[in-house]
Amino acid sequence: MSRDPTRSDSLRAARAELVASKEVRGASFGRALSNLVDHALIDATTALGARGRSWALVALGSYARRELCPGSDLDVMLLHAGGRRTSSLRDDAAQLWYPLWDAGFVLGHSTRTVKEALSVADDDLDALTALLDTRLVAGDDDLFGDLSDRIRRLAPKRRNRLIDDLAGRAAARVEEPGPIAEMLEPDLKVGAGGLRDIQGPGWIGWGLGPDPGGPGAIPGRGGWSTGVATLVTLGYLRDEDRTRLHEARDVLLDARVALHRVTAGRSDRLALQDQDAVAQLVGAPNADVFIRAVGEAARAVMWITGDLWSRLRALRRGPGTRGTGVRPVGDGIVVRDERLALEADASLDTASVLELGAEAARRELPIERETLARIRDLHDVEWTDGARDAFVALLAAGRGAIAVFEALDHEGVLVRLLPEWEHVRARPQRNAYHRFTVDRHSLEAVAECAAIRGGDGFDGVVARRVRADLLLLAALLHDIGKGRPGDHSEVGAQVAEALCARIGLDHAGTRVVVWLVRNHLLLADMATRRDLSDECTITRFARAVGDTERLDLLYALTIGDSRATGSAAWSSNKATLVRELFSKTDALLEAGVIGSESTEQRRQELAALVGTGADEYLDAMPPGYTTAFTASELARHRDLIAARALAVEWDDLDDGRLRCTVVAPDRTGLLATVAGSLSLVGFDIEAASGYTHHDNMALEVFAGRDRYDRLRDAAGRERFAATLAGALTGELALQDRLRERTRRYRPSGSRPTARDVRVDVDNEASAFATVVEVHAPDDVGLLARVAAVFVDLGLDVTQAIVSTLGDRVVDVFYLRDATGQKLTDRLAVESLRATLLARLTTAVTLD
Amino acid sequence: MKLIVGIVKPFKVDDVKDAVKDLGVQGLTVSDVQGFGRQRGHTEVYRGAEYTIDFVPKVRVEILVDDNDVDRVVTRLIETARTGKIGDGKVWVVPVEQAWRIRTGESGPDAL
Repeated sequence: MSRDPTRSDSLRAARAELVASKEVRGASFGRALSNLVDHALIDATTALGARGRSWALVALGSYARRELCPGSDLDVMLLHAGGRRTSSLRDDAAQLWYPLWDAGFVLGHSTRTVKEALSVADDDLDALTALLDTRLVAGDDDLFGDLSDRIRRLAPKRRNRLIDDLAGRAAARVEEPGPIAEMLEPDLKVGAGGLRDIQGPGWIGWGLGPDPGGPGAIPGRGGWSTGVATLVTLGYLRDEDRTRLHEARDVLLDARVALHRVTAGRSDRLALQDQDAVAQLVGAPNADVFIRAVGEAARAVMWITGDLWSRLRALRRGPGTRGTGVRPVGDGIVVRDERLALEADASLDTASVLELGAEAARRELPIERETLARIRDLHDVEWTDGARDAFVALLAAGRGAIAVFEALDHEGVLVRLLPEWEHVRARPQRNAYHRFTVDRHSLEAVAECAAIRGGDGFDGVVARRVRADLLLLAALLHDIGKGRPGDHSEVGAQVAEALCARIGLDHAGTRVVVWLVRNHLLLADMATRRDLSDECTITRFARAVGDTERLDLLYALTIGDSRATGSAAWSSNKATLVRELFSKTDALLEAGVIGSESTEQRRQELAALVGTGADEYLDAMPPGYTTAFTASELARHRDLIAARALAVEWDDLDDGRLRCTVVAPDRTGLLATVAGSLSLVGFDIEAASGYTHHDNMALEVFAGRDRYDRLRDAAGRERFAATLAGALTGELALQDRLRERTRRYRPSGSRPTARDVRVDVDNEASAFATVVEVHAPDDVGLLARVAAVFVDLGLDVTQAIVSTLGDRVVDVFYLRDATGQKLTDRLAVESLRATLLARLTTAVTLD
Repeated sequence: MKLIVGIVKPFKVDDVKDAVKDLGVQGLTVSDVQGFGRQRGHTEVYRGAEYTIDFVPKVRVEILVDDNDVDRVVTRLIETARTGKIGDGKVWVVPVEQAWRIRTGESGPDAL
């Protein structure tokens, strides 16, 4: 028999026309394309029928279900009675397939007797499930009926293997490619909750069903509806489950047909770039609405089938095996057949439902169907302390909580507990970072935060310092503002505030959670976009955070949120930067110089004097500066620094001492020069402090006694200004003059020894500088001499605090090396210590 | 053609991108990298929790340019990435034999 080119051409054209008819969508398209193929095959079978042999042409798989999409493969089997005419039938069968091949279908075909088909199905579970979805296209009805009856008798014998295999594959699809409802680029066919998951119940129904000829037989010859009808009859599914599966199938088919139209049948994965076009084809207003609708459908499928498989697995284990029986585990809560249940007489309220959920999450066990049906009747939500504690316990269970949330969501209870959840349910997010929809991402963040708290190392230590309930609630709610107009952090903070109040969280805790939701991106943003070697960055961030409790919480939340987002959002680089910012800020907050009430008050006072520039100025100064002076003094310093020139000012202090304020462009050795110049004019320094402004201006303030009364009048002060200017330009040989003066005025017999002097070097007190403390007997020009050591060693003084206690002096210096780093090298530290000791004990006798 | 490779501080990468864009550079590639130069790794201890930083996070910027553009782009990159502190990074230039634009098959300077 020759091939008929017109037949395949017309099939190809008819198929192309159907694909182009975009108003024919989803299930209608599947039926229409199946009909086209049916007709083509029936046409082609004229060759077989003429010879009076017994055969049946059987559609398999999606073609049998009339669910063909534009890119679907065709699976067809030619069934025959066997015997001596078999070989001629095989030759003739080729004539059936050519038109389909020529029309461009991808065709899977076989020619078998009933016995052969059964034998294949007996060996191979895939073959068995394929034969559970069959439809007679043309030929001998009895022959087809024979196959279908035998397959239906075989399936119950393979029940356990079917359950294990189908349930195992469904579970594997949750891991890879992942749940459709929660992926941003879901796979409509093999994603969890997808079309493959809808088919499973149809197949397993046959495995459980009564004998087709026996009592209670369910009419029908195969296919999904009969299998599912069996499950409903046996009580494994409810009638409404069947309806929901049906509806979901329609939504998913509609999407898949449209996707195949957009991608020319190449893919079942709904890539971001195609979502707009596909949404348009299914008549959705936009891609977000479309993806949510697909997600809702898939979520229902995943939940119904997940529950079905878990109960069938329990059935498969059978009574009497381990894990069956009833164990009480809480107040009115029992474990029955490895599922959590509420006892029949247990009260049903918000607290008991959440306690049940927490137990289920902790034990990673499903909740019994009947119990879920009862939970559905929870209409009056009442957030008692017990309910809130149970809710936090549920969150603290980590990963186990995700399944519980899904169950509560499926029963419609979740949005009754948290109406705010409605906005983030199945909400897609369009960016390259995210893997999950907003709701699943939030649950992932909770699970990650719970895991960090249980983890080792640095992060675990930090996360265990914080209040668990605040961390977990913040993780759950951090993106709750998504899907509402406005900045999601800001909007989310408002939503979180109302929610925390409703669930009765204490006032202080609520404030912290609200703050965390509002600022959940702050740490990651600052760490990756700001210069962390700039003290100003740290000061500003520390001020924005306020205290170590919030900082610890924000650190744990940042890691949890980033890990839950996707691999692109959490690299080891980002982890290092986030930890660096955290640690530097922590050191600052621990020292108590940021965030205290007195600093806040001083900031406000300064703002009252100088307006909005106050914070900017104080952020640019070392943290300890803010509270060291009165607001009016701060304002005066600010003016002097803004002028960016050398300035000297004198004040009389109440106790008769004088105060000298010097502002100058910063340079190495400035402190030594100023202190030396003061000593030279007879000013005995009793207290001093020095600070470096971010813009490289230095502020130095000295308090002391005017030994010779030379500095009371303007003339004396001008002489000092001239001395200082000369020393700064180098015209004045300051060191020589100073040595000379020291010799002249040193009280006799008071040479300090190594026992009198102590030098402490601390590298942990500050994130940015090495802190050196010098304890020594008071001496003329002591500060200048110490400062000169730093100059000789090439060290920069960023902050200095000098105080005299009786006849002893305690000097504290914040030092950096020439590259702006701490002195981490052991040799550098030792050489600093040795040089200081040497100069302070023997310097005078050397010359 | 030349390949300009810069290792810069992570927070500088946006500035670098904007700066070379202003010069008419059509594209650049960035990747997270780690390493050490004179700015060594170190161990940090905070409130009892210890962690070690062996390598410092940096961003590697790669820009393919025509020979004539090398100086401008490098100068601009250095200006933008500099903070004056240790760890500002490095820039180097390597010769490129040939380049193609995959979509069109154009090669040489046309592919830039």
